[in-house]
Amino acid sequence: MKEHLTELAKRAGADYCEIRVEDSRQTAIAFQGKDLENVQESHMFGGNVRACVNGCWGFVTFNDLRTLDNRVHEAVRNARAAAAANMEKTVLAPVEPVQDVVKLDLKSDPRKVSLEDKINLFGGYNERMLGHDGVTSTNLRYFDTYTHLYFANSEGTWLDREAMDMGMGGSAVARVNGTTARGSASEGGRADFDAFRGMEKRFDKAAQDAVESARAEVVEGGSYTVICDPHLAGVFVHEAFGHLSEGDNVAEDKRMQEVLKLGRRFGESYLNIWDTGLDHGLRGYLPYDDEGVPTQKTWLIREGELVGRLHSRETAGRMGEKPTGNARALNYRFPPIPRMRNTCIGNGPHGSFEDLIKDVKLGIYAIDSAGGQTNGELFTFTAGQAFMIRDGKVAERIRDVTIGGNVFDTLKNITGIAGDFHVQDGAGGCGKGGQMPLPVSHGSPHIRIKDVVIGGADFVIRGS
Amino acid sequence: MKETTNRVDETSSVGRFTSKLGTMAEAFEMYQAEGRSLNVSFENDRLSEIRQGQNSGVSIRAVKNGKIGFSYSSKPDELDYVANAAIRMAPYGKLYDYEFAGEAVSPHTRPYDPGCAELNPDKLVAICNHVKETVKAVDAEALVDCSVGGGVGKARIVTSNGQDCLEQESSFSFFVSLRLAEEGNFVQNYRFGMANEVIPEDKILEEARDAAEEFQIARRNAPFAKGKYPVLLAPSALGDILMPIGVSVNGTTIEKKTSRFVESLGEKLFDERLTLVDDPFHQDGPGGGLYDGEGVPTQKRAFIEKGMLNGFMHTLSTAKRCGHQPTGNAQRSVSSQPSPGMHNLVMAGGNDPLSELMARAQGGLYISQLLGTFTSNFLAGQVSGNISLGFLVDGGKRVGRVKNCALNVNTFDLLKSAIIGISKEREWVGGRYLPWLLVDGVQISAR
Repeated sequence: MKEHLTELAKRAGADYCEIRVEDSRQTAIAFQGKDLENVQESHMFGGNVRACVNGCWGFVTFNDLRTLDNRVHEAVRNARAAAAANMEKTVLAPVEPVQDVVKLDLKSDPRKVSLEDKINLFGGYNERMLGHDGVTSTNLRYFDTYTHLYFANSEGTWLDREAMDMGMGGSAVARVNGTTARGSASEGGRADFDAFRGMEKRFDKAAQDAVESARAEVVEGGSYTVICDPHLAGVFVHEAFGHLSEGDNVAEDKRMQEVLKLGRRFGESYLNIWDTGLDHGLRGYLPYDDEGVPTQKTWLIREGELVGRLHSRETAGRMGEKPTGNARALNYRFPPIPRMRNTCIGNGPHGSFEDLIKDVKLGIYAIDSAGGQTNGELFTFTAGQAFMIRDGKVAERIRDVTIGGNVFDTLKNITGIAGDFHVQDGAGGCGKGGQMPLPVSHGSPHIRIKDVVIGGADFVIRGS
Repeated sequence: MKETTNRVDETSSVGRFTSKLGTMAEAFEMYQAEGRSLNVSFENDRLSEIRQGQNSGVSIRAVKNGKIGFSYSSKPDELDYVANAAIRMAPYGKLYDYEFAGEAVSPHTRPYDPGCAELNPDKLVAICNHVKETVKAVDAEALVDCSVGGGVGKARIVTSNGQDCLEQESSFSFFVSLRLAEEGNFVQNYRFGMANEVIPEDKILEEARDAAEEFQIARRNAPFAKGKYPVLLAPSALGDILMPIGVSVNGTTIEKKTSRFVESLGEKLFDERLTLVDDPFHQDGPGGGLYDGEGVPTQKRAFIEKGMLNGFMHTLSTAKRCGHQPTGNAQRSVSSQPSPGMHNLVMAGGNDPLSELMARAQGGLYISQLLGTFTSNFLAGQVSGNISLGFLVDGGKRVGRVKNCALNVNTFDLLKSAIIGISKEREWVGGRYLPWLLVDGVQISAR
């Protein structure tokens, strides 16, 4: 395989050529209500060829390795056809070719756990949620995917890499007086199946959250001080700043380069943000990206100032910056593009959660995330659970709290960062350019943000 | 063009395999799919990529001891692996308490455009260039992304109950995006289109011009404060508002009794001007087909008719468990099991010209795009999100963009008692054919 792929890439006749072959096997389990809705073992095999000529790419996917010679020819032909109308040069930031074999480094291997044991474990969680009064239904999904990746490029890089990815998310649905609400719990990782054990209390809490949320009132829309728990703050930094840091937003946009000039102040001096692929065991762990570039910890904001961004070789080359190992592809059907790995806000100087909340007269404590989206400047995400804050204390529960904002204003409006950094992996992932769900992680301590727009109902919360 | 074989040729490789599968399992369903595509992309005003895709796969649902096992492979020649894995999974699977699709032939036809199999990259590059020129003629500063392409594929479903349907599909799509980043103001707009035949270049350029003209208006910000406003929802935003209804008529939420509509069949739930139809045969709809993901012939059905709840969307399984008739709404990819879904959502147009609705939205908002609404509590009817592209309406026109504001509505209430008018005009947005909708008293949150 190594010699064959390397030779084909080198002989392709393009400025640059890479070949990726991927062989993966997945186990998936899903419960819906009391039913075990899906149990499956699947096999996915395929690959792609990516060739670059004069800065234009030809990209071809295949399922049959026997046709690889033709696929290389097609990729190069497409790149040349695109390049015919283009007078540019291929600009890929230089990297040292690497040759490496990366074996799995697992604490506990999901492949050694029988299907029966997995079904019993996750079915037990599902039953616990269903056993709570008021819970009308549940959803629980688990997967583990083992992937063997082969990567060769025309510069001599060869990688033979194994990877494991696991995720599990469960939610309870409660319906009270016609109002439906959810509570959820999730776990994920790349190295330790045992992390999915012993989650009984977390699923009990998910069920309680669902029932209590269904009884809660919808928040009044408006502008509030919001304290986000570490999970939601992690989603916030992913949506609100991580995507903006991806090099393809900036590399060929001169105006955006002005807006995102290194050294620009984005927040107070206690704001530090990074993205890293080095955290072994997290879903955002990545020893090499999908261009064969070794991963690293990349600082994005240090002491409030913009200091870096997330690059593929192309975006780094176009900006005269160094690649950061962030070129990622969901699978062989897609080309690698700049994506996040594990994106984090660092610990701040403002003590504990109690220290953050004590001066908030009226606000919202937003916990966990039901997802989010950004368009670069604006973002929206929804809290999994939420409570009003009154006179420095957590007060009544509220539901359907959707947080919207402007990235630039919101980062400046972070008025407090606690010192309780935490990363919680789950079963979801990041979507971009049709590539969804890419495994990522995010972490943060509790953070406090002022003047956050909350979409809510038009009745007034009592006592405000 | 479609083919329906209805009888497996026992001498073919598929025939030999399904004969063997019939001896291994009490019942089975085999789903095979393959396709190829060509796509050209412009990014940041320049040609960036020509992409050719090939995909294939086979999945099997096999019944052993009354339970269903499922497996999938992307390698079309791994039939034995998939069959054995499906049978191995069966002891853990769902009860086979319904029947896989029986022999049935759809009486309908659906367009197939062989032109989608013969796309010329040079021609697609030329279309992208013309899109760029069209946008730049309206706004020279906008940065343009564009992708155009299409492909063909076929899917075959063979069941042990005698169904054997093979359906060929053609598809074509385009996406045009404009953006401009200025200090304190990022402006973006986009249009996209999907069809089962090659979309004429004129139509793509018309959409690009429309997007550019709206983009120009969006470069001016309009002052705005929180409050209650009349809101005119463009088809691109109305699709988000209708999501709670789609979720609530889905057979899964009916079966699990999480839908608010479980006991509401035949009840008038909405304004009588609201009619929503699932039409898999619409000439211009990209989402249809003659057979669903289980080989059941599809149907055109109004699930909301004049405000009344008429029916749900079912797979064979959800229909059986709810005691309803199957509706041909099973949707799947080759790597996943079927679940209920819509083909093409068509909303009936109203009596009002769009220009009149614009005039009646005086002082209110025109919303083109919402951000992040998919995170909302749809089961409760809630739709919340940032208004990523909205305009202040004055004198029957969009006069400037409103920013940093969010919308939160309850669709069930909004479409029951807040509709002012529905436009005669309708537009395709992906698999939805929708009018403009003017609603009253919508609470908008703002900083």
